Amino acid sequence: MQPLANVTPLRPAQRAGAIEIRDVGQVFRTAGAEVVALSQVSLEIKPGRFVVLVGPSGCGKSTLLMMLAGLREPTSGSILINGTPITKPDPDRVGVVFQEASLFPWLTAEENVEFPLALRGIAKAERRAKAEEALKLVGLEGFGKRHPHELSGGMKQRVSIARGLVQDPPVLLMDEPFAALDEQTRMTMGDELLRIWAATGKTIVFVTHSLTEAVYLADEVVVMSARPGRIVDHLQVSLPRPRTYEMLSGDVFGSLRDRIWRHIRKSA
Amino acid sequence: MKASTLRWLIVSILIALWEILPRAGLIPELFLPPLSVTLIAGFADAGEYGQALLVTLYEVGLSMLFACGGGILLGAVIGSLPRPRVLIMPMVSSLYAVPLVILYPVFTVWLGIGPESKIAFASIYGFLPTMLATAAGIQTIDPQLLLAARSMGATLSQRLVRVILPAAIPTVLSGLRVGGALVIVGVVVSEMLISSAGIGYLISRYRTILDSPHVFAGVLLVLAMAVAFNAAIRWIERKCAIWQTGTRGAQAAADDISGAIQPAT
Repeated sequence: MQPLANVTPLRPAQRAGAIEIRDVGQVFRTAGAEVVALSQVSLEIKPGRFVVLVGPSGCGKSTLLMMLAGLREPTSGSILINGTPITKPDPDRVGVVFQEASLFPWLTAEENVEFPLALRGIAKAERRAKAEEALKLVGLEGFGKRHPHELSGGMKQRVSIARGLVQDPPVLLMDEPFAALDEQTRMTMGDELLRIWAATGKTIVFVTHSLTEAVYLADEVVVMSARPGRIVDHLQVSLPRPRTYEMLSGDVFGSLRDRIWRHIRKSA
Repeated sequence: MKASTLRWLIVSILIALWEILPRAGLIPELFLPPLSVTLIAGFADAGEYGQALLVTLYEVGLSMLFACGGGILLGAVIGSLPRPRVLIMPMVSSLYAVPLVILYPVFTVWLGIGPESKIAFASIYGFLPTMLATAAGIQTIDPQLLLAARSMGATLSQRLVRVILPAAIPTVLSGLRVGGALVIVGVVVSEMLISSAGIGYLISRYRTILDSPHVFAGVLLVLAMAVAFNAAIRWIERKCAIWQTGTRGAQAAADDISGAIQPAT
């Protein structure tokens, strides 16, 4: 892995992309029983931060992400993005990148990226131009005419990221986006994502199972526990940027990862 | 040798054998008249065959419309609503295993021996697999795709037109292929059983007077119809399902359908 020396992070002082999660709870009702998926979750994320959610399976981190995306309404509490509540999907404020296989297989890469624009009736020429720009940003210039089955797993995820960014929302949500990728591709994609993040200055909320990935990518790691899902720790990753492969074996990295692991082992 | 060349070779050999074997006296002409004799018999009575073909095509066309239109519509509804699906799908599946042709005499009692009874019978016959395939196609759509569309702000109708329909196309087409083939079978078989017109009727009538060349001329026409139908489906498939190779899920579902659905004549 190469350090990202030639990229200067864009960090304007005032910018959209602030997230406020206030006392959010989520209760599922299934066949008579009530399951508390999330309880009393409060979290503040400043614009431009890279925040990673980790926790054992069933801790509600994906549920929390779905609520941030407006795909699920909280049972209690509220979520504000850019200072206003989010109650339904709003692609102007929030882009979402899912796990693999969320690309439409009957559309080409560029048509997939254009999809959210097409939904809003934006003219073909403008759509194409924006899609090309987004594909270029994720390093897929010239691959626009390919169908998803003609792309590798990593390339598919790049297209997904381009699709999430094409409307230039201040917030990008990512639900275990690299879970289906092999280790090497996963590392490369992590660096790619950091490059894209630095170039765009988005607020990123990233859900993962991998503790290494969490510490490597994040400014802040939010650790959650299961049943009911709560936030049990919120740590700042003080490692300098750009992050490098050597840091993975350093003391700072190790102690952060150990701290997260102790929480998870306790609650799992 | 390429597979397609080989296929053509096999077909050519079969055609040649059709001519040579009866001529050499290896097969009695009553069992299989030579191809040339069959064709001459057919052309000699071209008017009669033409008339019969029109009747059969009319019946097939209308049945196709009912079977495929109704099958896709109802399949889409049942596939997208969980409750009716649980209720209806097992019934339809078991109904499908019944050789419906036993009901055909009843259809003639209700609707007479004209085209109506054939159309009704063939429509139901082809409707079942089309519906089953469409319901399965809708059901097997990856929920992640719908979630992604929703996250991008897609409305319900946008999700239907831009996600559900294109995602269901491969399975629906494989259902159409089986359903359409069954419509042809249904029409021809019902014509052969009880009727006064159509290719099936001609085949059946010439058989009773042991006129083999005329029987086989009719068989050739039915064969041509089936081949033309298959070519049409293939053309549609090529037009709108280029992505079929892409998703293993859709491909497996399509294979499932065409494998599981066999005519129960």
